[in-house]
Amino acid sequence: MQSFFNQLPQQLVNGLTLGAVYALIALGYSMVYGVLQLLNFAHGDVYMIGAFVGYGVLTALAPKSGLLAPAWLIILLMLLAAMLVCGLLGVVIEWFAYRPLRGAPRIAPLISALGVSFFLQSAMQLLFSANFRTMKTELLLPPRLGLDIGPARISAVRLLVIVGALALMAAMTVLVRRTRLGRAMRAVAIDREAADMMGVDVNRVIVTTFFIGSALAGAAGVMVGLAFTSVWHYMGFTAGLKGFTAAVLGGIGNIPGAMLGGLLLGLTESLAVGFISPTYKDLIAFVVLIVVLLIRPTGLLGAKIQQKV
Amino acid sequence: MRIRLMIALGLIAALMLAACGTTPTVAPTAAPAATAPTAMAAPTAMAAPTAMAAPTAMAAPTAMAAPTAMAAPTAMAAPTAAAAGGTGTVKIGILAPITGPAASIGSEQLNFGKLAVEDFNKANGTTYELVEGDTQLDPAKATDAAQRFASDSDIYVVVGPAGSQEVLAVAPVLGKVNLGMISPSATRTDLTEQGFKNFFRVVPRDDVQGATDATFMIEQLKAKKVWVIDDQTAYSTGLRDVVVQALKGKGAAVTTESITQKDTDFSSLVTKMKADLPDAVFLPWQLANQAAVFAKQMTEQGVTSTIFGSDGLFSAKDFIDSAAGATEGAYVSNFAPDIKSIAASKPVADAYQAKYGDFSSFGAPTYAAMMVALEAVQRAEKSGTLSRETVLAELGKTDQASSVLGTPIKLSSKGDVENASFFLFQVKDGKFVLVTQSK
Repeated sequence: MQSFFNQLPQQLVNGLTLGAVYALIALGYSMVYGVLQLLNFAHGDVYMIGAFVGYGVLTALAPKSGLLAPAWLIILLMLLAAMLVCGLLGVVIEWFAYRPLRGAPRIAPLISALGVSFFLQSAMQLLFSANFRTMKTELLLPPRLGLDIGPARISAVRLLVIVGALALMAAMTVLVRRTRLGRAMRAVAIDREAADMMGVDVNRVIVTTFFIGSALAGAAGVMVGLAFTSVWHYMGFTAGLKGFTAAVLGGIGNIPGAMLGGLLLGLTESLAVGFISPTYKDLIAFVVLIVVLLIRPTGLLGAKIQQKV
Repeated sequence: MRIRLMIALGLIAALMLAACGTTPTVAPTAAPAATAPTAMAAPTAMAAPTAMAAPTAMAAPTAMAAPTAMAAPTAMAAPTAAAAGGTGTVKIGILAPITGPAASIGSEQLNFGKLAVEDFNKANGTTYELVEGDTQLDPAKATDAAQRFASDSDIYVVVGPAGSQEVLAVAPVLGKVNLGMISPSATRTDLTEQGFKNFFRVVPRDDVQGATDATFMIEQLKAKKVWVIDDQTAYSTGLRDVVVQALKGKGAAVTTESITQKDTDFSSLVTKMKADLPDAVFLPWQLANQAAVFAKQMTEQGVTSTIFGSDGLFSAKDFIDSAAGATEGAYVSNFAPDIKSIAASKPVADAYQAKYGDFSSFGAPTYAAMMVALEAVQRAEKSGTLSRETVLAELGKTDQASSVLGTPIKLSSKGDVENASFFLFQVKDGKFVLVTQSK
């Protein structure tokens, strides 16, 4: 029992870090599903490309001779570069792989998304080989630097991930609730044709949604690269799966739901590893998903299914 | 619609050119992995040429053309030779994780294999050739590569694969065509108990490694509480079982946990370990860079247990360099000595360094294994009939008085090398330093 309470704060920190990342990825899934009713399976691979972009920037700005700029600036540049590249990548993917299939039955863009996913993975493997790359985070943030809250220790890089993700999520919420673009996004999500008739430029909203969702995935990629240091072409698969699970857990299409789902999934995984066993962590996470869906089929914050009389 | 099509074709052409432009070893990995996916992705882009709604029957040939065109510029003669009845050249196949999560090990194994073939040809006037098979340490891909080798009648013997889980998948495939295989790194004990008539290895077994490691932990490190974390592969669980039994037999308290090779976040597991504070943590993992991440996360949380790794972790680049000091003081057991310190093997070490750069421990056994294979082929040729069966028979008769590893190599009837030992290293000042040797 003593060991339980000793471990708990640290496990909560671990869970929050993971959860923040899952939430960022889940946001992209939910946003795109909201406006297009499409599950963008290529999202995980956009996240992977974000990690690679971050790795590239870090390698360029932190050669053996020393940092070419202060650490905080390098981190900021990594995030901005990844967000920009991934945002544009998301826009290109939409234009290329989903827009021609706008009127097609729902399965067609889904398969297209899978295709884009494989394409991105294989392209990265071809161009950059299948080797694992390690991000040298210690050049920017020494590993022993951190905050001690009671028995829990939040290292600097984890603090960055948690704070950064929360900041991005807050910015997203403001965007969706308080701006015209946000209102347009919500309108398109409710009824695309009606929004079109009301003068909303649907295409522009969709493109912007993809840009923002993919940019968030890119930021998540950089943060994961910094926190867990392994960058390789296949990393998008697991992350995409977990992000998708988190989005469904919170209610697919629902933005606060994605954030809640992500945090919950991260916490569940960490607590499962800490108090049960790492062997069963995925099993437990998916069992939780199944149980939640059995009780609330549209997810935790999902819309109640309207009974059409 | 047209612009998208043009861009799609242009992109795919550019990628294919990039594939041809990079080393041949990169293309074969993409080809098997991409064969199915490109067939799926292609219809979306290539269905348009007919300007009709996705006639997949017509799109299929173009989809298939892409992967074969990507496979063509590889160094592997297998696709073309498979069609023909063999070209008369004598080839040796090598299965290694040339790309993928263990690429630093695989590329070293491959390069040492190439060096061995060159040295042998130069010394004996032969013209044997090497054929590469990339397994990415994945049993499925290893089986693919093995099947390609099996259907290439020019290949008479195979060196590899590297991982014990791959051996289990590949041995039956090669056994069906009587292709002998000799692994430079698969150490799981029961591989030579499965009744595989075609499997040999030049490295000792994990029952030796496990016993050596456990004894060291108890007697030298004075460990009373040990955590053993495996990565759920055949190699890892086999070694775990041996070590746990040996540790318990000597009275230590043992906790076992498992992770997978896809994990990158071990912080929750480290937190759990921190609550127990073991003296040592044993990591029989295959991926050294994963262990480096684990070590870093241990440092982050201030866990000071001594890390003890098995041969999978013996990679300076992946275990020491990428850990930024977190693995300093860790121990790693290995099945080969550092050949730079063996006088008779120095020419090989120097030649490798001049051509390919630095190396760790997986290369020298590959050189030794390749030499065993080459000599078996040569003896089979000299006996009059060169066939896979005669080479297999000659492999079993291997009795080399010396090898690049500084020890004789005599293969037992089950496929094990007799009297092999394990070497224990410690990471000191960012380098592996030999501490002791078993046996």
